[in-house]
Amino acid sequence: MIRYLATRLLYALPTLLAVLTLVFVLVRIVPGDPALVIMGDQATPEALRDLRERIGLHLPIWQQYLAFMGQVMSGDLGRSLITNRPILSDVAAVLPFTIELTVAALAIGIVGGVPLGVLAARRRDGLWDWIARIVSLTGLSFPAFVSGILMLLAFAIHFHWFPVISRGWPLTDPIERLRSLALPALNLGLIMIAYVTRVTRSGMLKALSEDYVRTARAKGVPARVVVWRHGFRNVLIPIVTVIGLYFGVLIGNSVLTEIVFNRPGLGKLIIGALEKRDYTMLQGLMVIYAFIIVIVNLVTDLAYGLVDPRVKTT
Amino acid sequence: MRQFWTTTAVALAIALTTPAFAQKTITVGMSAPDIGQVDPHKATTTQDKPMTSWAFNGLVRFKPGSGDLGGLEPDLAEKWVKSPDGLVWTFTLRKGVKFHRGFGELTAEDVVFSLTRAGDPKSSSFSADYASFAKVEAVDPLTVRITLKAPVPSLLGLVANYHGGNIVSKKAVEQMGDDFKLKAIGTGPFMVDEYKPKESITFVANKDYFRGAPKIDKVVYRFIQADAARDLAFQSGEIDVMYGRQDQKWVERVKTMPNVIVDVIRPAELQLLHFNLTQKPLDDIKVRRAIATAIDRKQFTNFIGEVIAQPGRSVVPAGYLGFDDTTSVLGSGDSVKAKQMLAEAGYPNGVTIKMVQTSLPSMLAVAQVVQAQLKKAGVDVQLDVVDHQTFHANIRKDLSQMVYYSAARFPVADVFLSQFFHSRAIVGTPTATTNFSHCAVADAEIDAARIEQDGAKQKALWASAQKKIIENICAIPLHEQLLAWARKSSVDYGYKLESAMHLGPTINETTTMK
Repeated sequence: MIRYLATRLLYALPTLLAVLTLVFVLVRIVPGDPALVIMGDQATPEALRDLRERIGLHLPIWQQYLAFMGQVMSGDLGRSLITNRPILSDVAAVLPFTIELTVAALAIGIVGGVPLGVLAARRRDGLWDWIARIVSLTGLSFPAFVSGILMLLAFAIHFHWFPVISRGWPLTDPIERLRSLALPALNLGLIMIAYVTRVTRSGMLKALSEDYVRTARAKGVPARVVVWRHGFRNVLIPIVTVIGLYFGVLIGNSVLTEIVFNRPGLGKLIIGALEKRDYTMLQGLMVIYAFIIVIVNLVTDLAYGLVDPRVKTT
Repeated sequence: MRQFWTTTAVALAIALTTPAFAQKTITVGMSAPDIGQVDPHKATTTQDKPMTSWAFNGLVRFKPGSGDLGGLEPDLAEKWVKSPDGLVWTFTLRKGVKFHRGFGELTAEDVVFSLTRAGDPKSSSFSADYASFAKVEAVDPLTVRITLKAPVPSLLGLVANYHGGNIVSKKAVEQMGDDFKLKAIGTGPFMVDEYKPKESITFVANKDYFRGAPKIDKVVYRFIQADAARDLAFQSGEIDVMYGRQDQKWVERVKTMPNVIVDVIRPAELQLLHFNLTQKPLDDIKVRRAIATAIDRKQFTNFIGEVIAQPGRSVVPAGYLGFDDTTSVLGSGDSVKAKQMLAEAGYPNGVTIKMVQTSLPSMLAVAQVVQAQLKKAGVDVQLDVVDHQTFHANIRKDLSQMVYYSAARFPVADVFLSQFFHSRAIVGTPTATTNFSHCAVADAEIDAARIEQDGAKQKALWASAQKKIIENICAIPLHEQLLAWARKSSVDYGYKLESAMHLGPTINETTTMK
């Protein structure tokens, strides 16, 4: 098991390196001058030159690259070009919010999506099947920023149940925190419900038409047991796969959700960094994102072994 | 069980009555993901500037709510005298002014330090403005003397509570180093309290403010970038004051909300369309004249809305010291005549113009109107739409034959003319700022006006510079765009808000909230 983990993490290294290089090059291909952003459009050319030297932008690109790689290897993501604060501490300050949001959305997705998918598959083209299709279609086709604004209009402006601006710090008041989390999590969870419902439904349809299910039914096994033990257990693998796979999609959509609901998180950080051409911050964030995805993939693979004893993680 | 109900009732009663004793807090919603700094000598962006007016003072100040350079009044300085040649200025400071958080009393040393810092490109974004300062010295603890190398158009403007003129605490800058950026120490009515990255920055009342303690206890400056989210938060009552969209429909819609006041204010950003005089076919004045004729300036104010846009009347924004609108500007929108003029210039089949354009929605819409207007005259404008930072980079590399740029500057003609139309400022040169047109026809007048001591003669020189630039069609003014801020009617700034030099309302000791 330990060896398996170690090898997997080792395999992740080249992926991370490739992502790093790609990000480093990409952010610099786009025109734009961080010095101009920092100093404003009335700055003198000397002042701009001076600033570029101070933040190391005057060095040849390969020197910047080597310096950056060396830094990352030693676990330091450097400082933001614009604010000069350490990137890791900026990220650490908001990462809990993004994780809280994605995990909540994931939970909503599973709790809402799995039963809906199972119900839909039990009676194909029945009432529940139609509901499941409409819900998943809505979740898939509504961009997060549109559904977010609609939710705010309904639940924050009309009913005053939830605040428009999500509260960030301090985290001491759990009720206020939940109230702030509810709408964004539901907004993001809707997308997850959509994916999970779909994969559960199609998996269940397939499983329930298998020979062993027919045999079980013929033996007189109660319907509930047939569905959950003979059918559902076989759908767990695709469900876990889809959750792992779409975790990335979720993180992407969390950017939009965070902006609409004005929640602190990686989303606001990355948009701000893009607009200001904060090269180092962008690189740092990409490293973090890539790392999260790698970890999620690993966890997914490990989860296979848990839900299906036939999969061996050695 | 009974105990449960009793405690609940007590808790509820406390919750319901607390607001009556609660601190008075004004929450301001700003369109930005975050702020850059509170340090006034580096605050160049729309989101950073408003805060500087809450926390800092200059030797003199713009009257709250006014952008009139002629109406400057004493701030940290009680009085001042200038030498007859305009080169030596002596300021007497107000006694007993205290810096925030125990950083001591204001002395001449702090003023010397601040103005020197403002002139240093390493510590200031506005160093160019102070290039003509020879020395700043403390004569005694309450007297400061500024000696100039050459006269400047408005010395008082340079020591006003704006940009580099804001006075910071010497001790605080030296002690805090990099931390000063977000914990800046000044003498203003409010002082920085707590900064939460990407979320908000809080200011608390400076009870020792020399004009008296503020009536508001706290100002929370919240960063809410998405327009829709800001509007919704305002509607639900979570913010009291908000940065508005520069859009008539927005103004009209928000005005209909109950108990809301929308302030449409100056300074206006003058929208200029610059023509690159070094590139074909725009190097030919006949072509420029044809294009300027095809532009229909009236359409821009109609399109954006008369509430928020006013006609551009010169190549300098209206109301600036030295503004002159006696030269008539082309832009009647006569496409038939324009077509004919193009044919006479040797382009019977029209011309193609490449234009780099930012994807910022408000600016892109204007460029598209330009495109549509010119199409009628046979001018094919090919828009290369890129994100805002790419736009800024590319127009500085001469990659755009026409540049649509929107700007507000210090309200004196010299600044606008020097940055946009003096040959020193031509993009791509070592001294470049923002002369996109390569215009060089008015260098002599701009330089002469800067050192002219006689006010009338100075104005005549600026007028002549504007005339030459307009007649040479280096650029054509489209319109002036005003700013919009909304507030709940319970918020009273304490003065009439007509202009905000800091791009947002000044919240000071006169501001109240019901």
